[in-house]
Amino acid sequence: MNALFDNLWVQNALVLAGVAVWVALLIHGSRSERWRRAWLRLRKDRVGMISGGVIALYLGVGALESFQIPQPTGPSLSVLGWMTRGVPREKSYSAPLARTSLSVVKPEPLKGRHLLGTDALGNDTLVQTLRACRTALAIGGITSLIYIPLGTLLGILAGYYRRWVDDVIQYVYSTLASIPSILLLVSILMALGKGLGTMSIALGVTSWVGLCRLIRGETMRQSERPYVAAARALGQSHWKIVLHHLLPNVLHLVVINFVLGFSGLVLTEAILSYLGVGTPVGTPSWGSMIDGARSEFSREPLVWWNLTAATGALFGLVLSLNLFGDALRRAFDPKKA
Amino acid sequence: MDLIASFQRVLGLSLGLVFLAGCGNDPNPRPLRQTRPDGSPWLVRYSGMPDEPRSLDPQVAYDQMSRRILEPVVETLLEYHPFKTDPYEVVPVLLSEMPRRELQADGSVSYLCKLKPGIFFVDDPCFPGGKGRELVAADVYYAFQRICDPKVGCPVFGNLAEYIKGMSQLYEGAKKNGDQLDYSQKLSGLEVIDSHTFKLHLLKPYPQIIYWLAMHFTAPVAREAVDYYDGQPHPDGPGGRERVRPKFAWHPVATGPFVLHEYRPGHLIRLARNERYQTTVFPEGGWTPDREPLLRPFAGKNLPLVDEVLFTVFREELPIVLLSRQGYLDGMGVGKDAFNSFVTPSLKLDQKYASRGMSLEKDVDLGTFYMSLNMQDPVLGPNPKLRQALSCAHDTQAGIDIFRNGVPPVAQQLIAPGIFGFQPGFRNPYGFNLEKARQLMVEAGYPGGRDPKTGRPLELTMDVTATGAQERQVAEFNQRQFQQLGIQVKIVENTFARMLEKEDQGNFQIASGTGWGADYPDPENFFFLFYGKNFPPEGKNISRYRNAEFDRLFEQMATMENSPERLEIVRRMNAILAEDCPVILEMNKAFYVVVQPFAPRTQNNTLLEGGLKYAWIDHPLREQKRRDWNPVPLWPLGAGAVLMIGAVFYSVRWNRRLDV
Repeated sequence: MNALFDNLWVQNALVLAGVAVWVALLIHGSRSERWRRAWLRLRKDRVGMISGGVIALYLGVGALESFQIPQPTGPSLSVLGWMTRGVPREKSYSAPLARTSLSVVKPEPLKGRHLLGTDALGNDTLVQTLRACRTALAIGGITSLIYIPLGTLLGILAGYYRRWVDDVIQYVYSTLASIPSILLLVSILMALGKGLGTMSIALGVTSWVGLCRLIRGETMRQSERPYVAAARALGQSHWKIVLHHLLPNVLHLVVINFVLGFSGLVLTEAILSYLGVGTPVGTPSWGSMIDGARSEFSREPLVWWNLTAATGALFGLVLSLNLFGDALRRAFDPKKA
Repeated sequence: MDLIASFQRVLGLSLGLVFLAGCGNDPNPRPLRQTRPDGSPWLVRYSGMPDEPRSLDPQVAYDQMSRRILEPVVETLLEYHPFKTDPYEVVPVLLSEMPRRELQADGSVSYLCKLKPGIFFVDDPCFPGGKGRELVAADVYYAFQRICDPKVGCPVFGNLAEYIKGMSQLYEGAKKNGDQLDYSQKLSGLEVIDSHTFKLHLLKPYPQIIYWLAMHFTAPVAREAVDYYDGQPHPDGPGGRERVRPKFAWHPVATGPFVLHEYRPGHLIRLARNERYQTTVFPEGGWTPDREPLLRPFAGKNLPLVDEVLFTVFREELPIVLLSRQGYLDGMGVGKDAFNSFVTPSLKLDQKYASRGMSLEKDVDLGTFYMSLNMQDPVLGPNPKLRQALSCAHDTQAGIDIFRNGVPPVAQQLIAPGIFGFQPGFRNPYGFNLEKARQLMVEAGYPGGRDPKTGRPLELTMDVTATGAQERQVAEFNQRQFQQLGIQVKIVENTFARMLEKEDQGNFQIASGTGWGADYPDPENFFFLFYGKNFPPEGKNISRYRNAEFDRLFEQMATMENSPERLEIVRRMNAILAEDCPVILEMNKAFYVVVQPFAPRTQNNTLLEGGLKYAWIDHPLREQKRRDWNPVPLWPLGAGAVLMIGAVFYSVRWNRRLDV
């Protein structure tokens, strides 16, 4: 599974697929009256637009790191790697903009200047922070591809069919929700092994419950409305009612949940990497950077830049996602329609 | 009503006092006692451990954490003299005198051993009436039988079975019997002469057997204890209720200076003085003249010198540093991150700690770290040039500089410094040299790191134990070293247990983080790691290295006393290993230790098992230092009071304004 995700062409295909999904959503949205009204309201929301811009920036950096260029003489190189290939690698720690390495015993001149210093292995902290965008976005994106269809489908089925279908789905998600999520995640990762692919699967398996509950409730509400009764009276099939009538009317909830859930996934990835069960060795991640920086606080001189860069980047993305999620919720709010 | 109000006030005050009494800066749990029966202070030694023990069974425990707990509890037949390290000297402990070597008519060798009379096992419910009985030769015999028991899983069985009569037969018999050892079967290698005398019969001369008798594997075991502590429920609880007894592996019953008093997994381990211990006293001499003022007052004193030892498990380095600074830990090893704050560029202790009376000592362990290459792997095994190239590509010094502050020396040979056969001037012919590595890759058939048949980069897998951030960084560092040759290295992260399993099964290409700490100061103890008959699981040859000449020389040198001829053989074996590269040598273990002024080191012989009995604490000085280093700041109290008064004043005014 992990080998598949590490494949150069699979990665490129995933980036393109991600872009295609976004384009498809926008095209779909532009045809819907409700989405158009929401977009007009969102445009007037300054916080929402700024946070959306910040997210787009992160997405752009993540896409640059995800898109791989095959190399004739070695392993493939990401676009971001190609763009930062001129940044030299030092022997070990160096402070931001320092001219010598951080050793008290044996300070050595550096090969270049580093805006945010370097880490224990001499990697430029800024480059590592930017590269880690890809991990956060890949985890958020792939996991969303797993849990959103699952949660939406099961939620609609439970809310529409009710009776035993609802009972079974409720039983499954209640059972799943009763297991502490971090423990469940860690055990799935221990069983499947470390890797972006397995982590996405583990997160996907554990993340659909909230969305499913939400969609179930909304579907129940929508099922009582006259347009569904009218569709039934006209003899439309269940699947047609679900796909053509109910799904479009709960899709705004899915979008809001996707944005808000994305920040939760990014945080969970960081937590798992911090706990040492997240990303594999060599994969840049904010959680791994924070984990690596944990013991750096007892160093003298203090090494603060790794932790600051990773938490700053994490904070920026999560805050932007939350603000954008709120803005979306406000934009789709029917009370404002 | 008044009564209830008074009761509430008294209750509130009492609770407040209780909570206040619980406040304090000392994170250590309360000691078992405050004073000894004679009124002198109860001495407690506070130590930290980075991990937990894996077993406290003397015939099983082999990792450092387990040994740290087990060795003060289990006394050995012989032990290393605490001060004589050049050369190392072994002295009797449970034995009344050194084993007497006897040459038999058939050319084999026996050792006559006599136990000291009047040594008692610690009091324990496993003995009748809960009183520990006297140690007898049958307990040694039982311990040797346990070594042969496949169910016990003694990790050194292979080493001993090769030299002690009858061990292999006993083991094989048990294997045929579904791993069930019949303890009534006789072990011909150990003959019990009388209650306190036994004879060890060897198959061939083996001078190193003396060292094995100084290890806990051969420490006597009371059969009652093994039978009693079976991990099963028994009606031992109050009122005859059922209670699960711990397994023997977690409840050692022995004759050592300490007993295991408390074990809270993941948190702490408490050892308490064995009140019946009288086996050894502090040596009368043997130390260097500069240590005379410190050690002379202890000469001839009963051991142990402290009454209690508390090990706290710290997974992180930071609390160890902070608690040592505050005087709540009695010493610490200087790790990577704390290095610069403790050690100056001239490798002295930083003035701010030196002014506190702390001192810095460098310890060199008799050990060598390396990466193991699997000789049975179809890529690495038949291609010595490839192994040599990998060895040349590894910039070990850079790794030591990054992760160990440049303290340990780069290992140039397998044998650690201080051991017979170590050659100070010897240079590893395949030490770091990137140009040579690239040339060797061409000779190995992988120019530029590529396989000419496929045109793709050569792919290798490196197994690592990655349990923390630093291990992952080390793995990434090692990966980069090899990738400089153009090859691809995939890292597989394992738990410690999984890594051991893979090493035993030979299920790896490159195993990172392997190495060997000497059990005893003899080159045989290093070379046996590459002896062809020592493959896992019985042996420790995890590289699965086999070389006919090396094996022949090993068999020859293993039974020899130290001599110029033996030295010549050792040098030849060193050269063979260096050329064959079954491992990539990394470093000899060395580190700095910060010594507290109140906990001077009374011995630092790293081979000595159970050296904790010599440890001492200057209790009054520690109390004084803790007070000096942890002044109670009164300003938060004052600031709190000011804030409180201000708040009261403000609220009164506010209420008046609102006319409440």
